[in-house]
Amino acid sequence: MNLLDIRNLSIKLMTASTPILAVDRVSLTMKEGEVRGLVGESGSGKSLLAQAIVGVLDDKWQVDADRFHWRGIDLMRLTLDERKKIISKDVAMIFQEPMACLDPTTTIGEQLEEAVDIEQLTGFFWQKKQQRKLAAANLLHKVGIKNHEICTKSYPHQLTEALCQRVMIAMALARRPLLLIADEPTAAMESTNQNQIFRLLASLNQLKNMSILLISHDLENVTHWTNTITVMYSGQFVEAGTTQHIFNQPYHPYTRALVDSSPKANMQIPLKSRLMTLPGSIPILQHLPIGCRLGPRCPKAQKACVKAPKVKNYHGHQVSCHYSLKGSY
Amino acid sequence: MASLLQVNNLSKSYKLDGFWFNRKSITALEPLSFDIQAYKTLAIVGETASGKSTLAKLLVGAEKPTTGSIKLNGQTLQHGNFKQRCQHIRMIFQDSGTTLNPSLTIQQLLDEPLRLNTDLNEVERNNLIRETLQKVGLLGDHMSFYPHMFSGGQKQRISLARAIILKPQVIILDEALAALDPSLRSQMINLLLDLQQQMGLAYILISHNLGIVRHFSDKMMVLCKGRVLEVGDTQKLLKQPQHKYTKKLIMNQHFQLLKN
Repeated sequence: MNLLDIRNLSIKLMTASTPILAVDRVSLTMKEGEVRGLVGESGSGKSLLAQAIVGVLDDKWQVDADRFHWRGIDLMRLTLDERKKIISKDVAMIFQEPMACLDPTTTIGEQLEEAVDIEQLTGFFWQKKQQRKLAAANLLHKVGIKNHEICTKSYPHQLTEALCQRVMIAMALARRPLLLIADEPTAAMESTNQNQIFRLLASLNQLKNMSILLISHDLENVTHWTNTITVMYSGQFVEAGTTQHIFNQPYHPYTRALVDSSPKANMQIPLKSRLMTLPGSIPILQHLPIGCRLGPRCPKAQKACVKAPKVKNYHGHQVSCHYSLKGSY
Repeated sequence: MASLLQVNNLSKSYKLDGFWFNRKSITALEPLSFDIQAYKTLAIVGETASGKSTLAKLLVGAEKPTTGSIKLNGQTLQHGNFKQRCQHIRMIFQDSGTTLNPSLTIQQLLDEPLRLNTDLNEVERNNLIRETLQKVGLLGDHMSFYPHMFSGGQKQRISLARAIILKPQVIILDEALAALDPSLRSQMINLLLDLQQQMGLAYILISHNLGIVRHFSDKMMVLCKGRVLEVGDTQKLLKQPQHKYTKKLIMNQHFQLLKN
C-alpha cells in the first residue's frame, strides 16, 4: 500500500480579485521506505506542496485534490482535528534554516524535552522528568551527537549550522514518524556538512525504514541520495520516475535542460564552452502563461502547448508534455 | 605573456585585545603569492574560515594587508588609494538583492561609479549605462526601474553591469553564482564567459561548487585555514589531487554522479 497517494492536488491563493493557481494538479505517490526527491526551481510550489501535506497552510490558501490518501485514509474527508492527529503523529518536517527555526532563548535540551512524546514515557509521575531527560539524550545519540551533555546545555547560536540541523532532525524523530519531509535541509551549508546531513538521513531511511521526501532546488545535489525524483516547474507537474531514468533519459524538455545545464553532470563538454540553457526566466505568480507553463521558454513548444498536457505513464516514468523526448533515445 | 595581477607574500592577521605581553593575533591568511593573466580565471576553493573572503577583501582594498604587495600591470596598488584601484578591480557578491540600494533606480545605481571615477558628461554617462545594460542582457529601458522590480537572476545581472561599467581588468566573484537557480546559473555562466572573451577580463572565482570551478577556471587554488595547500591547473588538480584535504573535498561532491 502506498504511504502517501496524492492525485491532482491544486493549491489556490485566494486574492481579492481572482484566485491564483499556485500549484496546478500535481500528483505524488510515496511508498514505504522510499526516498523521493522533489526538485524544482524557486517559485515552483514545492514548499507549498510540502506544507499542504503537513496541513499548515492558512486560510488564504485553498487546497483541492482528487485524491489525498494517507495509508488508505482519505484525509480530505476528515475534520481538521482528526487530520491533525494523524499527520502530527506520522509526518515530521525539517526546514531550511535550522538556526532560525530553533528558539534562541531556550537551551537545546529544554526544546528537545518539549518535543518528547508523552505516550512513550511509562513511569510514575515522579519518574517522568528523569525519563524525559533520558529520552532527549537518546534522541541526540540517534542523530550522531555523542556528547549530549554539552549539546543540551547550549543555546542554538552556540552550535554550528550542521549541528542545529541534527537537533532539528532529532526533534522530528521524537514521535517516530513514518515520513520525514526535508525542505532544503542543506541550503547554505558547506559541502562537507551537507554530506553529513544527507548521510544521516540515508542511514535513518535504511535503519528505521523511514520514508523521506527530500525537497531541493538543484537536481545535481539530490541524485546521489534518492530512489525516485519528481520534478516540478512553476507549480506544474513535469516528470516523475526513478533517479536513473530522470538523470540519464529525461523525457521532458525541462528536465533535459536541467541536466544539460549542470556542469557537474556533463564532464565531457569542453572547458569554458557555453552551457545549454533555457531562454528567459521563471514566470512570477501574477503573470503565469496559460497551458503548459514552460511554453514560452521551451525549445519544443508548438501550438498544442497552450493547453496543459495530460500526464502520460511509461512503465512508472510519468511525464507531462505533448512532445516528450521519449522517441529520441 | 605578462601577468595582469601579481600578488606577492600577501598575508593578513587580526590583533586581539589584550595586555602588553598577552597580546595575541589570529592569522586569517598566511603569506601567499600568485599571478593571473588577462582572459584567465583563477578559482579559489575552500571551506568556511579558510580565508577565501579575506583574500577577496584584501584584493579589492577593503582590508589592509599585514604584509605583501599587490601589483596591477607592474604598478603597486597602495592601500587607501581607491581611485586607482576601484577602476580596475571590481567585485560581485553572493546575495545581489542586498547589495543594491533599494531606494535608487538602476540608472542612479550605475551612474554613481561613473560620476565618481570618470569625467563624462550626463549624455555620455547615460549612453554608457544603456550600452552596459544591453551587454548583460537587459534592456536600456530598465534604467528607470527599481531593484525590487527585478527577479534574482536579473539583480545579479545588474550587479554585473555595475562591476563592468568602469571597464575593469579584474572581477572578483565571491560566491556570485551560489544563490541562483540552476537554469539562471548556467545563463550567468554563459554571460560571464562571453564578457571574458569580449573584454579580456580576468576573474577570481570564489566558489564551493567544484562543477562550476571545473568548467569555468583555468587555475585553481585550494585554501585551508588560511594556508595554500595546492595550486595548479584545474584539470590536473581535480584529476590528481595531491593533498588529503583536496581529495576529501572532491569526494564530497560526488563527482561521478550517475554513469550509464
